[in-house]
Amino acid sequence: MKRVEYPAPLKQLVAQLKRMPGIGPRSAERIALWMVSARNARPGEIAAAIASMSETVRPCPQCGFFTTEPLCEICADEARESELLCVVEEATDILPLERTGAFRGRYHALGGRISPLDHVGPDDLRIDALVERVRKEHPTEVILALGSDVEGEATANYLAGLLREFPVKLTRIAQGLPAGGGLEHADELTLSRALSGRVKV
Amino acid sequence: MLTTFKLRDFRCFAALETEFASGTNVIVGPNAQGKTSLLEAACVLLRLQSPRSGSLAPLVRIDAAGFVVDGFYSGNHLQFYFSPRRKKLALDSVEQRTAAEYLKIGRVVWFSNGDIALVRGAAEERRRYLDFVAAQLDPGYRRNLRNYETALRSRNRLLKMPHPRWREIAAFDEPLLDSGMALTQARRVLIAALEPHAMESQLAIGGAVGETLGLQYQPGCGEDFAANLEASRKEDLRLRQTRVGPHRDELILKLNGLGSELASEGQQRTLALALRLAQTRLIAAQTGTLPLLLLDDIFGELDPARRNALLAHLPKGAQQIITTTHLDWAQTEIERVFRLENRTLTGIR
Ligand SMILES: Nc1ncnc2c1ncn2[C@@H]1O[C@H](COP(=O)(O)OP(=O)(O)O)[C@@H](O)[C@H]1O
Ligand SMILES: [Mg+2]
Ligand SMILES: [Zn+2]
Repeated sequence: MKRVEYPAPLKQLVAQLKRMPGIGPRSAERIALWMVSARNARPGEIAAAIASMSETVRPCPQCGFFTTEPLCEICADEARESELLCVVEEATDILPLERTGAFRGRYHALGGRISPLDHVGPDDLRIDALVERVRKEHPTEVILALGSDVEGEATANYLAGLLREFPVKLTRIAQGLPAGGGLEHADELTLSRALSGRVKV
Repeated sequence: MLTTFKLRDFRCFAALETEFASGTNVIVGPNAQGKTSLLEAACVLLRLQSPRSGSLAPLVRIDAAGFVVDGFYSGNHLQFYFSPRRKKLALDSVEQRTAAEYLKIGRVVWFSNGDIALVRGAAEERRRYLDFVAAQLDPGYRRNLRNYETALRSRNRLLKMPHPRWREIAAFDEPLLDSGMALTQARRVLIAALEPHAMESQLAIGGAVGETLGLQYQPGCGEDFAANLEASRKEDLRLRQTRVGPHRDELILKLNGLGSELASEGQQRTLALALRLAQTRLIAAQTGTLPLLLLDDIFGELDPARRNALLAHLPKGAQQIITTTHLDWAQTEIERVFRLENRTLTGIR
């Protein structure tokens, strides 16, 4: 006897959901079934939101943050101090730093960090773009807000070597970010302290 | 003291649950029943690492997604889930984000029938011995070791590229030096602290009167790591690997001033035991608590004199779990005997 399965479109939806971070086969099935059967699910609205997002949201060509405009809100804001440039690993590190309120400059997201063990080298990151920005925007201080793990430190050292030839003060945010690196998990107080206690490289 | 102990999908065991007694516990069973695996599980429960495997992935039972070890140690509930994709630990049912508090609960000394490799084997065996002790005494040691290994492997990977780029390689020098110097210092201090304990242990378990045992540290980074790393650049590039650093450390064992490779087999066996006993005594002295002693099948190859000397010199009151294929050696008091067969553990007295 042939085994009964869910109809193909439902199976396809489960397969797509499973690709998302943090969603395993069981959650994927639960979400898909909810979309099919819950009265208030409104899957059309979800689909429309996804379509609109993927059509309009892009990385800001200048800093890497998310935007629907030619430049992101931060880069476009004339009131921002262009003397301060804060370098982060990922675009997702920007909002936690913003929320501290301790920083009024601009950002530059590298899109990762140098990690030979993951086959990520300087050419895979937005490092040339950073050097270009320093050349053109003449910031007085570049703050390296990278992870406190080995790869974060190495990336900071690499950038320090590259930027040394420019008349710019190079600083690093103070230690105290969670070991294992990445800003995502640090709380606001820790971040704010790390920002105000930055040290010269 | 380890009391309730459970595991799931660990090595050859789908599920197992047992209750250990204080004092001496003996597990008897034929070969390949899972005796070593059971001790290994107890070690993983307390230390989150295996004494016989660098990675935990091989410990997951074939066909299973991940293993669980779960137990009460001195009243603290330890739970650890591992799969190659996800790790989870809980202390007293509270999930832990870092291992720091969890690892304060219990310490372990692992005696195994392969311990003679500590004396006869490559330097790596002795480094692993030092790491295993140091990680239990110094909470920062594991992080330094992990950082050092990451920095070293990254640097070596870059050196092996078709066109190595110095700026990128040099970016890893600082993390390599920072963690490497911390490791060197920690190992130097540890070896100095172990030496008197090793000396006393050697005498206690059969070393001849007047025999001396020396533990010498020979750091793989030389006197000045930074200068030596700088100086070896050309050679590193030619050989495409980092040639100085604590990954080249050696612990030199000297019996009566002579290299231990010249000692007799009996002396070497005594020496290996002395190193394990020294570890036990040092942990007891520095933490004020006795470690859990896991003795894996070591009595088969010890003559009765050494066997009894060892049992007599294990610290009084330390809980022991001993595996063996035969019970005929046992003269000491044994609190509990288990039989392990067909993947089940049965208390027999
Ligand atoms: N990951 C694993 N999954 C399933 N079986 C395993 C795994 N690792 C080891 N084994 C098997 O477990 C058995 C018990 O090994 P071991 O604990 O060394 O037994 P003993 O110490 O009693 O001789 C061996 O037959 C080995 O092949
Ligand atoms: Mg065995
Ligand atoms: Zn922008």
